Amino acid sequence: MAKDSSQASPALKPGSRRSSLFARGESMVWLTGSTLILCVAMIGGLLALVTVRGAQTFWPQEILRVETIDGGALLGELVKVETYEPEAHVFDAIEDEGEREKARALVAGLDGKSERWFLRTGNRSTENRDGFHWVQDFEVARETRPPWALTIERSEWGRFYGVPKGFLDGEQLTAETPDAAWALFEKHHADAVETGEEAHELEKDGIGAIDARIEAARLRVRAAELDHGTDSPEHAAAQKRAADDEARWSSERARLRKRVDALHTESRRFAFLMTSADGGEHRVGLVDIVRAYPANRVGWWEKVGIYLARWWEFLSEEPREANSEGGVWPAIFGTVILTLIMTLLVVPCGVLGALYLREYAKQGPLVSLVRIAVNNLAGVPSIVFGVFGFGFFCYTIGAGIDDVFFAEQLPHPTFGKGGILWASLTLALLTLPVVIVATEEALSAVPNSMREGSYACGASKWQTIRRIVLPRAMPGIMTGMILAIARGAGEVAPIMLVGAAKMAPSLPVDGSFPFVHPERSFMHLGFHIYDLGFQSPDAKAAEPLVFTTTLLLIGIVVLLNVVAITVRGRLRRQFVEGR
Amino acid sequence: MQGDDVAAVQVPPDDRPGPASHHGARLGGVFDAVSRGEPFATDTHAAMDGQADILEIKDFNLWYGENQAIFKNSFGVPEGKVTALIGPSGCGKSTLLRSVNRMNDLIASVRIAGDMSLSGDSIYALGVDVIELRKRIGMVFQKPNPFPMSIYENVVYSQRIDGVRDKTVLDEVVETSLRGAGLWDEVKDRLGSSALRLSGGQQQRLCIGRAIAGEPEVLLLDEPCSALDPIATGRIEDLIQELKGQYTILIVTHNMQQAQRASDYTAFMYLGRLVEYGPTQDIFVNPHLKETEDYVTGRFG
Ligand SMILES: Nc1ncnc2c1ncn2[C@@H]1O[C@H](COP(=O)(O)OP(=O)(O)OP(=O)(O)O)[C@@H](O)[C@H]1O
Ligand SMILES: [Mg+2]
Repeated sequence: MAKDSSQASPALKPGSRRSSLFARGESMVWLTGSTLILCVAMIGGLLALVTVRGAQTFWPQEILRVETIDGGALLGELVKVETYEPEAHVFDAIEDEGEREKARALVAGLDGKSERWFLRTGNRSTENRDGFHWVQDFEVARETRPPWALTIERSEWGRFYGVPKGFLDGEQLTAETPDAAWALFEKHHADAVETGEEAHELEKDGIGAIDARIEAARLRVRAAELDHGTDSPEHAAAQKRAADDEARWSSERARLRKRVDALHTESRRFAFLMTSADGGEHRVGLVDIVRAYPANRVGWWEKVGIYLARWWEFLSEEPREANSEGGVWPAIFGTVILTLIMTLLVVPCGVLGALYLREYAKQGPLVSLVRIAVNNLAGVPSIVFGVFGFGFFCYTIGAGIDDVFFAEQLPHPTFGKGGILWASLTLALLTLPVVIVATEEALSAVPNSMREGSYACGASKWQTIRRIVLPRAMPGIMTGMILAIARGAGEVAPIMLVGAAKMAPSLPVDGSFPFVHPERSFMHLGFHIYDLGFQSPDAKAAEPLVFTTTLLLIGIVVLLNVVAITVRGRLRRQFVEGR
Repeated sequence: MQGDDVAAVQVPPDDRPGPASHHGARLGGVFDAVSRGEPFATDTHAAMDGQADILEIKDFNLWYGENQAIFKNSFGVPEGKVTALIGPSGCGKSTLLRSVNRMNDLIASVRIAGDMSLSGDSIYALGVDVIELRKRIGMVFQKPNPFPMSIYENVVYSQRIDGVRDKTVLDEVVETSLRGAGLWDEVKDRLGSSALRLSGGQQQRLCIGRAIAGEPEVLLLDEPCSALDPIATGRIEDLIQELKGQYTILIVTHNMQQAQRASDYTAFMYLGRLVEYGPTQDIFVNPHLKETEDYVTGRFG
């Protein structure tokens, strides 16, 4: 070829060839480079935002006491400060003439701009449902940091900010200064919480177990009725057994009830007597306190301790207060289990499908059609998969299973509603194209000479695939799996329809027989983020948690991927590079 | 040049004006007849009669889709001897070799006529178990193709697929095969390490070891040295001499010296036809046909 072209243009003088800027590629270097920088900047920016906002959520803040010019007072944590231009009528709200003029002058001196502070003041109750306040800087008369102001995280109603006035033992005041009250709190808090937990456990496990037995007996009656009819001897026997059970268990139930009530009373014995910013007195029971600390007195190391403790609570506890307090453990668990089940379903299916397409099927228009269909499946909006899963898995298969195996539970569905199995299947369907495409790619990258070598040794097709092709293609298959995990773990829309719940009563895998409960609904971090951000009644308190939960979800996906990538690296070294 | 050969094979035999005819014109005689697609008989030397043939090729034809690549080849491969297949590029040597263990079955477009037989058993009859057949034939390819596993597992691959688990049996297979392939001393301390880390020459000897580990009746070698340097080539040629007698070897080579040194019999192919077949000495020193002489002395093309 080279020879031909030199002959074809004999007139070309040496050095007469000039390459254009494009030909030299300089401009392409700039274009590709800057595009990459743009992509990296966007991804990095998103990650940085999530990391910074997510990581600072749990850092203990100081408590500010703000006294306003109209004589009010606020106590709380500073969430953010905004600069804005107040409109004229804002000042009209200030009653005192002198103050109004002072405020006008202050704002005028700052080019008409003003700052406003957003305070988390907590102390939510049936009367005060908000817990956040805006304060304009010209409204502030005095700003202090009361040394004994406490941040109290309550198990209900969120945080309480106040100064301890005393300590109550029953109705009796046993301490009258903040430090004495704090000392008593530290002494009794753990016991009170433990007693409260004991009461709850007894209620849940003891009384719950008895209720479950009674319910089981009722279901047997119903099953006998369905199987044999109302007047059958079986039905009568079941009814008699149910009555016996109930008689036998009801006295035990009453005894437990009494014990539980006693424990509850015991746990409620000690309480803080708190003064809030407006001077009101509040009784805060120790059993209701998750954590308390004098925010303006704790040192740096104590803050680190509180920070870590809050992270641990976040990771290991169940959520409280419509998910805006407490932890996300069930959501972590649900996400991981969902992703694992999905992976277990999608990888074998995808690999077998790709094996057929690439190794067994006769390449032709039909196979091409299948391939195009599979690729297009990847472009279907994920909510469509959710709708399909809902209609097909829950309402068709699930309802069928219920009719056959769980008829006595009806009309309460067992499988005929969203559950972790259906969600996993839906996600598996969603990620199937990714796995098939990646596996096909990996299979076609296996050198044909290896296949021929295996056939020449007298191996059958399957032996060749199993011993040569699959191991060699394994790194590529793992790539498909990694992509599927990344896609599946972050998907929210479809699972909203097929089993993700705002609050799942129990985990899909637990200690009660049969240990794995594929029909149970589950919590999911992605759905949790949506729920916190858009469905929470206390949206402002939940906002920082949106970032923290996002950070956690990203962390989990990264962790799952790191595991997969490590395995893939090992496989690649073994089967491709031969190290 | 190769382009011309390919084109020649792809033109149907009856109406071929095409580039091949100028070959024929230049070379004259047999090649001319071949190029015109005229019927043509192999010049088989009298010395080939009465040999104990283990592999018999009978009127074998092969087509890739519409294009015939092998034309009515008939010859026998004597047992325990080395037979070399020579001929210009694209003449169908690999195709013929791959037909012996039915590797061409893997190509969907291939069609055949005629038959071959191994120790009297038909290779292409209906109902032949191809897998059992391939177990009786070892094959080494032009490019080394070790499997992505340890040296040890590469050698015992045939045993593994037969389900042999006994460690002592496998160990013995590995040692005898690798000794047979002249690789034992170099790798005996690292049998567990990946075969992909061996050098090209070592990999090719490993592939030979893998082929003889299955105790084949016939060993097919398709240009086994073409990717190797002269020293590695020499080792493999020595190896062929050592394996002779124990195995029947059918080897494709472009290296005339190699064919002369290593083989007992030589078959010369041209455009899918078997042109001349006889003892190596006769083919190289005293060929019946002028065309064969031109080719083995390098005056061809
Ligand atoms: N898979 C295939 N499909 C179609 N035609 C093929 C295929 N393999 C080989 N051929 C054709 O068959 C003819 C013989 O090819 P073959 O590989 O047997 O030649 P060869 O003698 O081994 O050549 P070389 O010495 O270059 O290896 C060639 O014309 C080639 O183009
Ligand atoms: Mg060849």
